[in-house]
Amino acid sequence: MAETTAIETQLEINEFNPFLAMAERFEAAADVLGLEAGVREVLRTPDRELTVAIPVLMDDKTIRVFRGYRVQHNFLRGPCKGGIRFAPDVHLDEVRALAAWMTWKCSVVGIPFGGGKGGVICNPRELSDGELERITRRYTVSIMDILGPDRDVPAPDMNTNEQTMAWIMDTYSMHVRRTSTAVVTGKPLNLGGSLGRREATGRGVMITCREALKTMGLRAQDARVVVQGSGNVGGIGAQLLHREGYRIVSLSDMWGAIHDDRGLDVPDVLNYLAKNKRLAGYPDAEHISNAEQLFLDCEVLVPAATENQITSKNVDRIKAQLIVEGANGPTTAPADVKLAERGVVVVPDILANAGGVTVSYFEWVQDRMGYFWTEEIVNARLEETMVTAFNEVYRTSQKHSCSLRTAAYILAIDRVATVYKMRGIFA
Amino acid sequence: MSKTKVIAAFEDDPLPATPALDDESPFATMMSLFDEAADLVGVDPNNYAVLRKPDSELKVSLPVMLEDGTVHVFDGYRVQHHQGLGPFIGPMRLEPTLKVDELRALAAWMTWKCAVLNIPFGGAAGGIRINAKLRSRLELERAVRRYTAELLDVIGPDRDVLTPDVGTDEAVMAWVMDTVSIHERHTENGVVTGKPLFMAGTRLSKQSVAIGLQTILQLSVERYGFQDRQIEVIIQGAGQVGGNLARILHAGGHKVCGISDLSGGLYKFEGLDIPTIMAYRAAHGTLEDAPGDHARLTNAELLALPCDVLVPCATANAIHSRTAADVRAKLIVEGAHGPVSALADRILHDNGVPVVPDILANAGGVVVDYFEWVQNRQGLSWIDPVILKRIRRFMTEAWSAVSEVQLRHGVRLRMAANMLAVERVAAADKLRGIYA
Repeated sequence: MAETTAIETQLEINEFNPFLAMAERFEAAADVLGLEAGVREVLRTPDRELTVAIPVLMDDKTIRVFRGYRVQHNFLRGPCKGGIRFAPDVHLDEVRALAAWMTWKCSVVGIPFGGGKGGVICNPRELSDGELERITRRYTVSIMDILGPDRDVPAPDMNTNEQTMAWIMDTYSMHVRRTSTAVVTGKPLNLGGSLGRREATGRGVMITCREALKTMGLRAQDARVVVQGSGNVGGIGAQLLHREGYRIVSLSDMWGAIHDDRGLDVPDVLNYLAKNKRLAGYPDAEHISNAEQLFLDCEVLVPAATENQITSKNVDRIKAQLIVEGANGPTTAPADVKLAERGVVVVPDILANAGGVTVSYFEWVQDRMGYFWTEEIVNARLEETMVTAFNEVYRTSQKHSCSLRTAAYILAIDRVATVYKMRGIFA
Repeated sequence: MSKTKVIAAFEDDPLPATPALDDESPFATMMSLFDEAADLVGVDPNNYAVLRKPDSELKVSLPVMLEDGTVHVFDGYRVQHHQGLGPFIGPMRLEPTLKVDELRALAAWMTWKCAVLNIPFGGAAGGIRINAKLRSRLELERAVRRYTAELLDVIGPDRDVLTPDVGTDEAVMAWVMDTVSIHERHTENGVVTGKPLFMAGTRLSKQSVAIGLQTILQLSVERYGFQDRQIEVIIQGAGQVGGNLARILHAGGHKVCGISDLSGGLYKFEGLDIPTIMAYRAAHGTLEDAPGDHARLTNAELLALPCDVLVPCATANAIHSRTAADVRAKLIVEGAHGPVSALADRILHDNGVPVVPDILANAGGVVVDYFEWVQNRQGLSWIDPVILKRIRRFMTEAWSAVSEVQLRHGVRLRMAANMLAVERVAAADKLRGIYA
């Protein structure tokens, strides 16, 4: 009895661990590709992991030593690319997994980067701006030797933002004795940032959603869309889908969801949200719970909030025919299997939300040439990249008769493995 | 021979003692305008304090073996004003009367100009105190190469980019580029601009200022509401800036009623035959006796004629306190550097004549310097239509940004441009923070 419970608990832990889920999907795709064990081992293992101690003089004159990491999963296809997060629960295992995730994401959309990820264990809520700046600068110096526009290019992540990126850029530039904007992305516009970056992930979600519906023969005006979330990804994604003529029937935030089957006035909802900080009290729609939102009658569901939203527990009640993963890991592996059985199409996270890293890439390109594109050009190139990637993934799924997710991993892994075989083992 | 000695002796003069920020110096005078702008725009004083001093000033001694076998030690300088927005960029001069305080003013001016145009550079200026007319090409080359070698640690495409200016032509820029490239062990085109076309230079560099002026002229004419008819323009100056502008405007169907050079001006109310006049000037080097049924008059008379737009493209202070009241143009666009004196500026303002300031209007040059640097980084040469379109983009965006500040604060265009510059540099500084 006790043993059964333990196994169930373990199963649940496994289901809810997005990194185990990713590992599982990696193996599935590697099986399809018939990848030999040695190459598999190489692609599973991070190339480099750096742990650094970050001594910081606190505002009260005491010294605290923080711990920071930078993991470079793979740089076969180009310099590493990936965020830096500041959080109390940063863990090396998590950083490793996220770095690998970046490798596959960059590979799917065909941008010339490998995956990296970094983090500092700290609680930004308890730190002053000055302390955060000192942590950032010392962390930058500590990982200086593996950083650089041609080595590893960080970006903002949890609790880091434009300001953090500006500090990294400044510290790095001072050390190398020249202006080096391309060492980080997600910078403010006046320090080498790119136009269109804030909307990029949402725009990518809109594009992949549109392309997926095309393959299913659904027209925009016939598609009712439920969006979980209303922030940078969900909110902007919903706004852009709305502009393209889709009927957005529901949006949500942390506290609840709103619903109107005739379609919401998305710009009005977002204005309300900007003013009131939450959707509660929005007058022109029915209010429902977050759990209920997922079961709404609709053609498209866009989970754009957090991980593990569609699980073995609720997957049977989901009515959507298409799921576009705006968030990272919103669908668990067991739920994935059931969705596939029912013929529900899932545009996987590593494709659907890759708009963000794509425009980060554009920022790096613009920094390298020193010329900055207009917003129209950024958007046009994002469109081109996302449509191409979607079509490649779609064709791969047709060829192997597999889900879009497996197809995306097949494509990503195959590209990295091919480069590996061509470059060979150095020394 | 004696004249040579006198000027050579001047080259030897010690620098005027490095002036503090006193009211007499060009740097202090220039900065005082920006003090006011910073105040109006509400920049954090801590932030602005950093901008009031150049980031660094380097003085180098340049021993050069002269043709007669003796060694002469020249003085070289590079002042780097502020690098918040990116690498430094700025003029390199070969000038017998080079003064460090003027370099400071020039360097800061470049910081502000780049900020107005939204191009990712900070300002610098430098040069060698040398009289190019008295020196052989070989002596000049040795001085320039030694100067470059002394500056190696502070210049480069991502550090500081040198642009041609007084006394520095294509060949001088090529020497600098060659010296840096040899030291770096790879071709380093992006360290200088103004290179020859066949040596990673850019197309349209000679026309850049005129194209920028024409764009700004068009925008300001729309803004001040006489766009619906053929506009009447008078241009002072017929060289690279004025002459090219006249050609572009004439080709665009506008009436160029007046143009001048050192020899005086030509005027015809119905519009001058610019192609014939410019062809004559190209052949004879002067407008004097240019063919056509136009009236001949002096530069001063030309500036006082009625027209829609007056574009002074010749000298500094062409319109000063004694002539400003005579100006009968509806609008002035500054093609030269500082053609309207500070006092004249006030008089024109009182008379309701808007002045589009040089920092914005004649910035086409630095925009194309920037394009040359971008093309060098890309390793790709842009064709004419691309450059043209992109000059227009930068000029238009800058015009819109300056106009926006002007309307928001109810100030003159000149002050609005200065405010925009300070605001942008200070915003970037705030984000980067103070290192260490």
